[in-house]
Amino acid sequence: MDYRDTPEEAEFRATLREWLSATIPAGWDKIEDELEAVRLRKDWHRTLYRAGYVGMSWPVEYGGRGLSPVYDAILNEESGNLGAPPLPSVGYIGRAIFMYASEEQKRRFLPPLLSGEASWCQGFSEPEAGSDLASLRTAARLDGDHYVVNGQKMWTSGGQYADWCLLLARTDPDVPKHKGISAFLVSMTEPGVTVRPIVIASGEAETAEVFWDDVRIPVEQRLGAPGEGWRIAMTTVAYERGPADIGFIANYRRTLRKVEGLAAERGLLEKEEVRKALARAYVRGEVLRLNCMEQLSMRVSGRAPGPEGSIAKLLWADAEQSLQHLAMDILGADEMTGVAAGWLSSYFTSRPVSVYGGSAQIQKNIIARMLDMPR
Amino acid sequence: MLALLSDEQQMLKEVAAQIAGSAGPSNPSDLNTVDRAAAWRSLAQAGLLALRTRDDDGRPVGSGVEVAVVAEALGAGLVPVPYLGSAVLATELLALAGAHDEAEALSEGDARTTVLLDRHLSALAVLPGEQVYAWDADGAADALALTAGPDGHQVVRVSLDTGFVPATGADLTRTLLRSDGPIDEARLTPVGRPLSAEALLRWEALALTVISADIVGVMRAAVARAVAYTKERVQYGVLIGSFQAVQHLCAEAYVQAEASASATNYAAWAVDELDVAEALMAARTAKTQAALVAREVTETVMQVFGGIGQTYEHIAHVHTRRALTDRQVLGDEGVQLPRIADVRLTGE
Repeated sequence: MDYRDTPEEAEFRATLREWLSATIPAGWDKIEDELEAVRLRKDWHRTLYRAGYVGMSWPVEYGGRGLSPVYDAILNEESGNLGAPPLPSVGYIGRAIFMYASEEQKRRFLPPLLSGEASWCQGFSEPEAGSDLASLRTAARLDGDHYVVNGQKMWTSGGQYADWCLLLARTDPDVPKHKGISAFLVSMTEPGVTVRPIVIASGEAETAEVFWDDVRIPVEQRLGAPGEGWRIAMTTVAYERGPADIGFIANYRRTLRKVEGLAAERGLLEKEEVRKALARAYVRGEVLRLNCMEQLSMRVSGRAPGPEGSIAKLLWADAEQSLQHLAMDILGADEMTGVAAGWLSSYFTSRPVSVYGGSAQIQKNIIARMLDMPR
Repeated sequence: MLALLSDEQQMLKEVAAQIAGSAGPSNPSDLNTVDRAAAWRSLAQAGLLALRTRDDDGRPVGSGVEVAVVAEALGAGLVPVPYLGSAVLATELLALAGAHDEAEALSEGDARTTVLLDRHLSALAVLPGEQVYAWDADGAADALALTAGPDGHQVVRVSLDTGFVPATGADLTRTLLRSDGPIDEARLTPVGRPLSAEALLRWEALALTVISADIVGVMRAAVARAVAYTKERVQYGVLIGSFQAVQHLCAEAYVQAEASASATNYAAWAVDELDVAEALMAARTAKTQAALVAREVTETVMQVFGGIGQTYEHIAHVHTRRALTDRQVLGDEGVQLPRIADVRLTGE
């Protein structure tokens, strides 16, 4: 057991910190124009790629460096610590492609994904299929050498800016619901694809809904075998968590420092209950960090991500939401009168943390299953 | 970075679990018949009482991780032996004071010594003082406390033969004695050299960590028992574990216990690997987390057991009692959080 960096990890971290300090674009987080912000994130992806920081844990033959996921975790952590723009989330789409794609698909899709030339979104949820994803109804009907897709997807984060989509659609309505789903790699520029941004409660267009009307997809863009979509989706979801969690934790720690600053500015640091609540928030962050380090260690030692990720997801949602409650208690009316700009938006942004990637209730169901409780 | 037990530590875990398994109660009445002496002998023979004695280079024979592994296993088994009191808290105090012969004497398993705590159970007693408690005192002839002196704190030994009466402690698996009046100075025998402030903080880091490990063991075992029960108990013609309300109760308790384990594992590693301020911060974090959830988790377990879980003859409340007492020992979250805040907010 050792929570410290190995000498190699420490060296990597030091070089990375130096590079980030010199490279993070000044004032990037002050950009108000949404399109400009998106452009900045794409540029950041390419900058990271050129410096060798994208897909580090991917196999060498697919453009990665074959390093342990610990290096991805360090990248996430230091990006959070130093306040860098968000990292491109190539991990889970990449994982789905190099686990299930044909050699030709890999050669076609992986390099631009890695380099940032093509950005991806995930077409999974639907209006009638959220937590119960397997009951999705978007249909892909085979017509010669094409599939014809019709349906509606929801919560397609980044859908309005993505070039490609990992799409789940039902190819066989006559088999049990988990078995009739297939996965597709689809260009978002195909005729019949319409994207409408969804503005969440914070006021920001964080996600999108996507309409699919007679969209034609060549058969060779199906990922995996027909009916294999559910398995691909579950793999993808499992790999959505992991090293990136460490980055969320770095952000959490930065936010906690800000909340401590708010309490200090308002002369509340002498109040016992405020001190205790801030210390409690610190403990929540630490517990989450340490739990994630254990999960990451299990992954490093060769175990595929399992339902243990549900524990971290629940702890994370609780920590994030409790911290926003604490900020609200400290700010009082200032959060409601707009004096403390941005905090109300942060509060609403913390609410879906217990919904997306599987709601808190679904995570508890998964844990009950892991405990082998009766169905 | 690799935040997992090594193969040797994994083996130690199995050895400790084996000893704990044969020495723990399945229901409260077993506490009258469990062979405590045999369990203690097994721990001594496996070398587990010697982990905090020092080797020839002055280093602990076993790291904080190893002691925590044993503490967790004994907590999980609700084993009624004074491992924490004698083999960890007293032994470490003696070793830090340079009283190595006395520390080694404890490791052989014949003599036992524990520690005196203040009347809130929240700190090592500083004598002469008000009322004190000898905690985890099963079979202990004497107990260690501190006196304040010009060169720092001095470890002192107090005989438990006179001046102490049995207290009706909540924890049925540990012996608690209460001083029947102020302890006068004539009864104190100094042991070893005065402790530096740093040594005392090191001791506190280890002590908080192993108590947290005991709580983690208690919680994990209690949750496992409750989950097993949901797979046997039938109501409305189905197993109660098939109800989502029951599943979510168990899942929440499980998450809290696992979260405590993550914090405790780190604190256990930190004891011997990080500087004292960081080690203590990690220990306070672990103790806060464990103390915060110990009550709810063991209450949830009693709830899952339903009516039978509320009875004296059922094992459920034995978990609760041990966890609630551990929660107080060396300070619950109400004690730890202000100290964490001092470090975070004022850098003290």
